[in-house]
Amino acid sequence: MNSATTRQTPIGPYPRAAIATGLLALLLAFSFSGMRSEVWTALLPFFEWMETTWFGYVGKTWGGAFATIQAGHLVSLGVLGGAVLFSDGRLLGLYSSLPLRDVIDGSHQVFKWALAVVVFTGVFMVCGVAVKVYYLPVFWYKMLSLSVGVLFAFYVRKPLVDRDLSDVSPLAIKLTAVASIMVWFTVAATGRWIGFS
Amino acid sequence: MNQLIFDISVWLDDTAWSTAIHESYYLYNWIESTHVLTLMLSLGILFLIDMRMLGWALPNVSATRLAERLNTPMLVGFVVMFITGILLFYAVPVRSSQSLWFRIKMVLLVVCAVNAYLFHRRMTQSMSTWENAPRAPSELRKGALISLGFWTVIVLCGRFIAYDWYDCEYPQPDMIRALAGCIDGQTRF
Repeated sequence: MNSATTRQTPIGPYPRAAIATGLLALLLAFSFSGMRSEVWTALLPFFEWMETTWFGYVGKTWGGAFATIQAGHLVSLGVLGGAVLFSDGRLLGLYSSLPLRDVIDGSHQVFKWALAVVVFTGVFMVCGVAVKVYYLPVFWYKMLSLSVGVLFAFYVRKPLVDRDLSDVSPLAIKLTAVASIMVWFTVAATGRWIGFS
Repeated sequence: MNQLIFDISVWLDDTAWSTAIHESYYLYNWIESTHVLTLMLSLGILFLIDMRMLGWALPNVSATRLAERLNTPMLVGFVVMFITGILLFYAVPVRSSQSLWFRIKMVLLVVCAVNAYLFHRRMTQSMSTWENAPRAPSELRKGALISLGFWTVIVLCGRFIAYDWYDCEYPQPDMIRALAGCIDGQTRF
């Protein structure tokens, strides 16, 4: 898992980080380009179809089921946030008496499960109000920040922290931890914003 | 008792600050957002500790050291949640105090506080014997399960408060009216 030697590839020593950075740049360029409205228009039938699915039917018909899934979404988001704060807090030098490698690896397992539940419950919730959220700009901000968060977590942060951290610049580690906390805070905050829109 | 709670709620509702909070779109939403987002600090870290005790997460990290180190940030999170929760209640006191879900949530919060106290006491008494074991002893695991279950129900009740299914202003079965402490419907905030 840890590699002290730097591998050379056609796109440099950090291929996953380079690909993720390229994807993030493409995603941002797409978000602010004219292509966005064409894709947005083409997606409407998909969102209309989502409301006709079983998830959409349950979400629209039983308010109690929708609220229960919402609570599951909140709890799993809390666990995801806890794992991020714990792991990134450790990278920032907090709880220094706890073993760094075990904290990072153990937190990542929790993070993955929590993310899976967040996404599953999130899809359920969207199905119940698909056409409504389709027209909400903040829903797309949330999708953008979630995409950035997932790409960052698995293709930037994970490859970095999997290395022998004594070989990595402490500044790079700390900046990665701060960026990770900020991106997941943005995901949660935009989610909350949907509720007010 | 219900009359006393109602009278206090009406008195709170009549104060200028209560009106200011519930009539301010931004202030109310900021308080509510802070209350919800602090879940990541309070509940997120609490669940990490509970899952460690149950052997579901972080098996190579000492359970007691984990609980000790994460205690402070978790408590900071709960203090923020407590303050913002009081402000949310203060903004809408009459409806909240006559909400069945709010009342269940308050009872469960007390149960969770007692459970946390007992859990911490048991953990401190027995930590030297199992500190690095993959799972905590049975008594502590039960406490962790109670914590996970009841806190999940507390979040659920928090969500249900927003819905009007059992609001006093609608016809309700006598048992619901008694549990919700209905006095005069929800004609005020």
